[in-house]
Amino acid sequence: MEEETQVVVRSYEEARTRASGPASEDRYRERWRWDKVVWGTHCVDCYPGNCPMRVYVRDGKVVREEQSGDFPRIEAGVPDMNPLGCQKGVCWGQHLEAPDRVLHPLRRVGERGEGRWERVSWEEAIDEIADSMLDAIEESGSESIVQLMGPEANPWNAVGLARLITRVGGLNTDVNAEINDFSPGIYLTFGKFNLCSSLDDTFHSELILTFGANPVYTVIASYHYQVEARYNGAESVIFAPDCSPSTMLVDRHLPVRPGTDAAWALAMCKVIIDEGLVNERFVKEQTDLPLLVRTDTRRYLRACDLETGASEEQFFVYDQRSGRVVEAPRGTLELGAADPALGGEYEVTLADGSRVTVTPVFELVREHLEQYAPERAAEICGVHPEEIRKLARKVAAKRTYVWAGGTSLKYYHADQMVRSVILLLGLTGNWGKKGAGIGCWSIGMFDGMMLLGQKQQKGPEETRRFLSGRDAVIDAIKAEDPTRTEEICRIEMTRRMAGLAGMIPPAFLWYRHAGYRENWNRADWSDPTMPRPFDEYMREAVEKGWWGDVAWPAEGQPPRVIFQAGGNTLRRTRGGQNMLLRQLWPNARTVVTIDWRMSTTALQSDFVLPATNAYEAPRFHIPSPHMLTLIYSDRATEPAGEAKSEWEMTLLLAKALGRKASERGIEECQSGRGSVHSLKDLYQQFTLGEEMITEEDACEEMLQDTVIAGTIPEGTDLAAMRERGYLRFIDWGVSPFAINQASDLKPDETHAHSRWHTENKLPYPTLTRRAQFYIEHEWFLEAGEALPTHKENPKMGGDHPFVMTSGHNRWSVHSMNTTNPLLLHTHRGRPHAVIHAGDAAKKGIRDGDEVRVFNDMGEFFVPAKVTPNAQPGQVIVYNGWEPYMFRGWRGPMDIEPGMVKWLHLAGGYGHLHYWAFQWQPTPVDRAVRIDIERAK
Amino acid sequence: MAEATRLTGRQVAWVIDLNRCIGCQTCSVACKVLWTQGEGEEPMWWCTVNTKPGLGTPRDWESMGGGYQNGELALGRLPTAEEFGEVWKFNHDEVYASGKGSEAFLHPVGAPPTWGMNWDEDIGAGGYPNAHFFYLPRLCNHCSQPACLEACPNGALYKRTEDGLVLRDEDRCKGEQTCSRACPYKKIYFNAARKVSQHCIGCFPRLEKGVAPACVRQCPGRAVFFGFLYDPKATVHRLVHEWKVALPLHAEWGTEPNVFYIPPLSTPWIREDGSVDESRRRLPTEYLESLFGPRVRDALRTLESEISKRREGNPSELMETLIAYDWKEMLGPFTRDPAELTWS
Repeated sequence: MEEETQVVVRSYEEARTRASGPASEDRYRERWRWDKVVWGTHCVDCYPGNCPMRVYVRDGKVVREEQSGDFPRIEAGVPDMNPLGCQKGVCWGQHLEAPDRVLHPLRRVGERGEGRWERVSWEEAIDEIADSMLDAIEESGSESIVQLMGPEANPWNAVGLARLITRVGGLNTDVNAEINDFSPGIYLTFGKFNLCSSLDDTFHSELILTFGANPVYTVIASYHYQVEARYNGAESVIFAPDCSPSTMLVDRHLPVRPGTDAAWALAMCKVIIDEGLVNERFVKEQTDLPLLVRTDTRRYLRACDLETGASEEQFFVYDQRSGRVVEAPRGTLELGAADPALGGEYEVTLADGSRVTVTPVFELVREHLEQYAPERAAEICGVHPEEIRKLARKVAAKRTYVWAGGTSLKYYHADQMVRSVILLLGLTGNWGKKGAGIGCWSIGMFDGMMLLGQKQQKGPEETRRFLSGRDAVIDAIKAEDPTRTEEICRIEMTRRMAGLAGMIPPAFLWYRHAGYRENWNRADWSDPTMPRPFDEYMREAVEKGWWGDVAWPAEGQPPRVIFQAGGNTLRRTRGGQNMLLRQLWPNARTVVTIDWRMSTTALQSDFVLPATNAYEAPRFHIPSPHMLTLIYSDRATEPAGEAKSEWEMTLLLAKALGRKASERGIEECQSGRGSVHSLKDLYQQFTLGEEMITEEDACEEMLQDTVIAGTIPEGTDLAAMRERGYLRFIDWGVSPFAINQASDLKPDETHAHSRWHTENKLPYPTLTRRAQFYIEHEWFLEAGEALPTHKENPKMGGDHPFVMTSGHNRWSVHSMNTTNPLLLHTHRGRPHAVIHAGDAAKKGIRDGDEVRVFNDMGEFFVPAKVTPNAQPGQVIVYNGWEPYMFRGWRGPMDIEPGMVKWLHLAGGYGHLHYWAFQWQPTPVDRAVRIDIERAK
Repeated sequence: MAEATRLTGRQVAWVIDLNRCIGCQTCSVACKVLWTQGEGEEPMWWCTVNTKPGLGTPRDWESMGGGYQNGELALGRLPTAEEFGEVWKFNHDEVYASGKGSEAFLHPVGAPPTWGMNWDEDIGAGGYPNAHFFYLPRLCNHCSQPACLEACPNGALYKRTEDGLVLRDEDRCKGEQTCSRACPYKKIYFNAARKVSQHCIGCFPRLEKGVAPACVRQCPGRAVFFGFLYDPKATVHRLVHEWKVALPLHAEWGTEPNVFYIPPLSTPWIREDGSVDESRRRLPTEYLESLFGPRVRDALRTLESEISKRREGNPSELMETLIAYDWKEMLGPFTRDPAELTWS
C-alpha cells in the first residue's frame, strides 16, 4: 500500500478511537465485509470482454464483484488498461440466482415452445440425448449431428462438447458466420480477417477515424483510450448516420447515408492521388498497386503468360530503374534495387508470341477513382466535399487508425466499404506501425486449449510428439514452396485440415436445410448487379470443389440432433425463428440447449441442460490480442441447482454414448466425408485414459501444454493462476490465428499488427503476397468489383421506405444480460425502436407507443423511442434483445432475410479459400428495408 | 460545520470529467450492488447517470426546489416514488413455464411503467444532425452547506470531520423526509420498509480502509478523480482551484457541493449543406451555463486551448493530468486494492 494511503488509513483509525460514530455507521461497515476473494471473469461479448474481476464471497455466496484494477502499465507513456469492466460485469453475480436461471435438466412435455417442462434426472436426459445421437448416426449419417456454435462457447465447449461432436463425426458450425463477425473486406485485402491491435495501441494514434460503430455502447471497458488519445492531441472523427453518444465525444461527426461509406473513402483516395499525397514507398513495397495487369484480359500478368508451364502465381512489376518488366519477389516485400512504376503502359511478349499491353494496378485505380470526385461522392453519401478533402489531407499527414465497427461487417457490401477504407490507409502508409491500421477480432495464444483436442494421452510427451508431427507438416508445406513464410505455412496447414476438423462454414447448412435458398435467390432482395441467379453461383462453387470437404451437411441430410451451447441461435441468426423454426427445426428429432439461463432457443428446445455460470466452476476465457492476457475464473461458490459445467456434462455424454454404442453393437462409424470414428471407449478416449476427469485436471493440462507451446512462462500452473488470476502472454505460440498479428509480442510495448510486413518485409498471405486491392477472380471481374467500389445497398426485405439499422446495445451486448432484472431497470425495461421525431410525427407515433415494424418477411411490435437522433428514414433497433421480450416472441431478426453476398462463395483463387473463422459467406442485416406504423 | 472540514482540510471531493463519461451506468450498478440491495432499498440508486438535456431522476428534479435562497433554507417539493422510477416486477415464470408459449412475452407486469432511473436515456435535444446530449452522473454532493442537515428536525444528519461526508444516523432518522425537500439535487431516497431516508454514504467504509468509492474505482471510463479538496497537491484541488476546469452543479442553490464536473466539449455544428461550422458548438454553451454557471465558458476555453497545445506537439500539464497514465493517480490517497484487505 502506498505511503499516502497508509497515512489516510491511520488517520481514520485515530479518528475512530477518539469518537466512534453512530451505530448505523457500523451497520454499513458490516455490509462491506467478506470471507473469501477469488478471481473471476465472464463473457467475451464485446471484445476483449473477460475483464479480470475479484469476486467477493460471504457465507458461501457471491455478494459482489469488482474489477481487479491492477493491470500493470505496459508501455511508458501509455495509459494502463484499468479498471477494465462494465456495468454487466460488475453485477454478474446477480445472474446466479436470477429468475431466468435454469436450475435442473428439463425435458419438454408440450409442443416445442409451449413452455411446458418436466424435470428429469441428468442420467435420463443424457441417455436420451445419446440415443438420439446414435439414431442420427445410424439413420442419417454423423453429419446430421450439428452444434450451432455460439459466441459464448468458452473453452469448456471447445475442449468439451465441440470436441466430442467432432469425435463422433458430427459438425460444429463456424462461429464467425453464426455471429456475422467476419470481415470479408479485411480478408480480401490481407488474406486474413483477424488483424487486431491491443486496446492501448489506440493511444498512439494521431487520427482516429471511426465508422460503422457506436463504441460508447459497444466497448465500454476500453473507450477511454479514444478520449485519452484525444487529450494527447489526436483528432477523432466519426462517420455515422445517426447521432449517438459516440458522435458527441469527438472532433467531427460526419453524418452519412446508411451503407454508403465506400463513397467517402474512395473520394478521399482520389483526393490523395490527385494532390500527390500518396506514400509511394509504402504502396510500391506493401501493396499490389505496382503489379502489372494485362489490359486485354484485365488479369494480372503471370509467369505462365510469358512461358508455358511457368507459375500461375508469379507476378510482375515494371522496374523504372532497369526499364524492364521484372518479377515481383514472392518470398519478401523487399524490392532490392527495383523501383516499380505506378503508372504507364508497357508491352510484353506472351508465350505464344503475341504482344499485349500491361499497366500497373495503380493506373487502374486512378482511372477507377475518376467516378469518385468528392462532389460526386457527396451526392452518394451526404458528406460535404470539403470535409472529404480536408480529412483526406489529414489521413495523409497523420498516423491514422480506423475503427471499423461491427456494422462494417454486416452490410451487404461491407466488403467494399472496408476495402475502400483500407485503400485509403494503404495509399497513406497507415498500417504496420503503432497507432495505425484497421482491426477486427482474433483469438490464439492459449494453445493448451487447441492442443487438448489433439491429444490421445495425458502429459507433456504426448504434446511434444504432436508438436513435432505438426512441425514436420509445416516443414513439408514450406518445402513445397520455400517462399512461404511461417504464417503462410500455418494457414495452409489449417486449410488442408479444415474438413477433418469438423468445423463447417454454415452457409451450406442454411442454404440446404434452413430455407435460405429461397431468400438468397430473390432477385428483388438481392443486389441488382448480381448477373446470374444465386443458385448458379452456388452450383458452380460446389461443382468446382471450391468448398471441398467443408460443404456439409449434404443435400438430403438435414440435421437430426441440434446442439446450442453458449449461444442463442434463434436470437442471433438473421431470419431467426421465422426461418429456423419453420425450416430447420421440423427435421430435427432432438434440439438440446445448454445454458445457464432460459434463452429463446432454450424455450424452443426439447432438452434444456443447466450449465454452471461464471464463478461456479473453474475455467479460462478465450484470450485475444486486445489485451494479450490469459485470465482464469475460479470456483467461488457451488453451482446453483443441479448445474454442471459443460466439461462435466460432456463427460457424462461421452460415457453414455460409448455404453449405448456398444449395446447397439456399433464399434465405429464412418462419416460421409470418409473419416472413421471409434465409438468404443469414448469416455476413455475423451478423458485421455480416464486421467483427466475434473475441470481442474483439464485446466492443469491446458496450462502445461500452453507452457510447452511457449506463450506463458515456465512453471505456470493452476495454483499460480488461482493466486494471480491472470498473466500476460510472452509469445504468440503455435496457432495460425495468433501469428496473423504479424508483429513481435513485446512485454513493454503496445501491440500494433502487421509490423513484420512493414518492418521485416514478410509477405502477406494473399495470392499476390501483397496487400491486394485488385481481386481479378472471374466473378469479381464479372461483378465489377475487382477494385474497391461503391454499390447501393439492395432492397433486402422488399421495397419499403425505411431502413432498419442495428448494433450491439449498451445494456446487454448479446441477449444474456437483457433479462437480468437489475439491468432492466437501467433502461425502460423493454426493447425499443429509435425513431426520428419527424418520421414519428408523420406516422402519428408518440414516444412509448407500440409500433408495428414490417416488410416482406413479416412483422414485429416494439415500443418507440422518439428522438432527434436517428437519421430521417432510419429506424434503429439495437440487437441483443431476447425474442421473448417482444410480443409473440417475434423481433427484428425475424424480418431480416439473412442475405449473403454471392461473391463470398468464390474460391479456387489464391487466398479465397475457407479456413477456420475466415473466408466464407456470412449473412448481413444492416439497412434491411422496412415500414412502420402505430400498432392498432 | 463547513468550517470544521475546511480547517482540517479533509473534505473529500469528486471531479467527474464529462468528456470521459460514456453513460454506461457502471457506477450506478456498482453502487447498487454494494449498498442498496436490502429491504426497502430496491428502488434506490444512490448514484445515477442521466442524459442531459433531459429530465433525469427524479423526473424534472431541477424544478423541485430546495437549497438556499438569499442565504435562507428553502424547502422544496418532495419527489414521488413514481418520479424516481419504481421497481418493476417481470413475468419471467409466465414466459418460461406457464404453457402459454409465445402468448406470454417478458415485460413489467401491472400498470406500464411511466418513468425510471434512466428513462430518457439518449434522447437529448436539438434537431438532426445537430442533436446533442451528454451524460451527467449524480450522487450526493456531500455539500459543505448541506441543506438536508440544516433541515432535519431530528438532528439525524451530520458532517464528518474525517472526510466531510454528510451521513445519517439512521437510528435518529424518523423518516419525515424534510431532508429530501431541502436537498435541491433530490438525491435522498426513502426506505418505505424501514421508514428511514437513505442516501449515498460516500463509501465511507471503503475510505476508512484506504479504498476509493465504488463509483470512482469501478468507472471504466476513468471519468472520476477523487481526493481531498483542500490538499494543494491533490489532483481534485488543482482541477477545481488552479486550472478551474471543474465546476459544481447549480452552485446558485447555495449548498456548496463537493462533486465537481469538467464540462463537455462539443462536436461542431453541421450546416444545412453538410459543411462543418467550426465556430459553433452543437451543445449550446448557454445550456451548460444553466447547469455550471458562467465560469463554464472559461473552463471550456482552457480545455480547448490545452488540447490545441497537445495537437501542436507542445506539452500540457492539464492534459497530462486528465489522461491519467497511471489510473491509480485518479484515486487520490485511496489507492488500496480492496481484495488485499483482510478482516480480523
